[in-house]
Amino acid sequence: MGIPNYPVHLEDPQLQGFYDGLAAGELRITADPETGAFVWYPPEVVPGRPDTVLEWRRVSPEGSAYSFTTIVRSLLPGDHKDEVPYTVVLFESDETPGCRVPGVLVDADGLEPSCGMRLRLKPVQVGDHIIAGFAPIR
Amino acid sequence: MQGNKVAITGVGETAFLRKGTKTLMHMMAEACLSAIADAGLTPADIDGYIGNRMVPGSDDMGHAIGMKDRAFSAVTDVAGGTAPAGQALILAQLAIEAGLCRHVLVPYGIQSTKPGGVYGFHAREPLKAALEMPVGFFGQPTYFAAMANRYAYDHGMSEEELASVAITYRAWAVLNPNAQRRDPMDLEGYRQSPMISTPLRAADCCLTTDGACAYVVSAVDRARDMPHPVVQISGVGIGTSNFPHGILFTQNPCIYDYPGAASAAKAYAMADVGPKDLDLAQVYDGFSISALVQTEMLGLCERGEGARFYHEGHARPGGRMPVNTSGGHMSGGYVPGINLLIEGVRQLRGGLGARQVSGARLCAVAGLGGNSHSTTILSRS
Repeated sequence: MGIPNYPVHLEDPQLQGFYDGLAAGELRITADPETGAFVWYPPEVVPGRPDTVLEWRRVSPEGSAYSFTTIVRSLLPGDHKDEVPYTVVLFESDETPGCRVPGVLVDADGLEPSCGMRLRLKPVQVGDHIIAGFAPIR
Repeated sequence: MQGNKVAITGVGETAFLRKGTKTLMHMMAEACLSAIADAGLTPADIDGYIGNRMVPGSDDMGHAIGMKDRAFSAVTDVAGGTAPAGQALILAQLAIEAGLCRHVLVPYGIQSTKPGGVYGFHAREPLKAALEMPVGFFGQPTYFAAMANRYAYDHGMSEEELASVAITYRAWAVLNPNAQRRDPMDLEGYRQSPMISTPLRAADCCLTTDGACAYVVSAVDRARDMPHPVVQISGVGIGTSNFPHGILFTQNPCIYDYPGAASAAKAYAMADVGPKDLDLAQVYDGFSISALVQTEMLGLCERGEGARFYHEGHARPGGRMPVNTSGGHMSGGYVPGINLLIEGVRQLRGGLGARQVSGARLCAVAGLGGNSHSTTILSRS
């Protein structure tokens, strides 16, 4: 299996918190400090309350795959044909069901990806940047 | 808004090509003039225009086709197929019933081969650029592939069942001289189609098309004196979800839950008909998975049974509920939503030769675009 190599573009600086978490080996999800509710993905404007500033919270690195797909032909801009195939999972932490974090499936040799498969966060260094990776809990 | 007040009186399109040589303006002008002539009108008779935020507007198109009076013009504010196959009809009826204009022109075109590709707008989404593209989750086939895997988990779906959607539409395209892909395709042919994102192959995806279409909407009372049998808008409904584009494909509680049930309920209520009354349907087939789910949402089969509905052959030529009789977007051509609507009109007019659905009088047209969905009920009066 390959690994995608595409730069992280943080047009919205609040998203840096996600990558700060990965660098610390943690999964972080945004929450509304007033209501305590997780709000994910962090929207530009929190619905109905545009002045709200979301905060990052560490959540359990263990969870399951809501869905997945194995990318055989990369549609990323540029030439990425040497990076396929790889499997992307939409991961849900056990603490934040419904909040889905896309990440690359790693350390899964011999396992068929499936919805519901148990996973644990395992950030992956790709060149000069880090991305979300998830490894099966065996 | 009441049904059976306005009709589609003219339709036209360019050839659908994998790679054309004409500009989008040029193709749209061709389609507009074809639709206007089909309605037995001249450009000077067109006094209403409904544009689309993705293509040139009436400032340019009015000049290109020789309009004289743009008494009414508007732009649809929903994405993809929802706009030309649903929302434009609502705007056209409002304008005609308000007495603002008599004949409304609705054009749409696509130049899939334009520089930057068809996924450029996804790359401009900050959330996708920050969270999805670095892990390689990018492009419509990838998003819909994740939907297909979740659908299979929730409802069960074999490779053969998924393949039957593409095979069904190809069987119709073989009968359509104007379809873009007319080479027959069976299960073995489907399996030879390149895998893009599992389980979706190229054959599960809509075509890459350069082309344009247009139609004319007029009051039913006027339509009776125009060249073709009257094909009226009996019902039209729009459904929406509240997830913006950057969030929709991953965070929708059920990622394949398009707002199609809501649009269908509104359209059927307005038309005072139900799915069992239909003779055929045109379903927005950006992908096989989204088409089979919308087939369920239209009520053509039970929820969770869409893949088996296709596999059992009900939508094929000779089946009890023909779907996408031009070949749809996956084999006929991809001008989002509008060529499906036009196929519905042509079927109800009759005379389509080998692909004509016998006795077709009532057709549903489903349009999907981003977080919105349209259902339109066409009827021959």
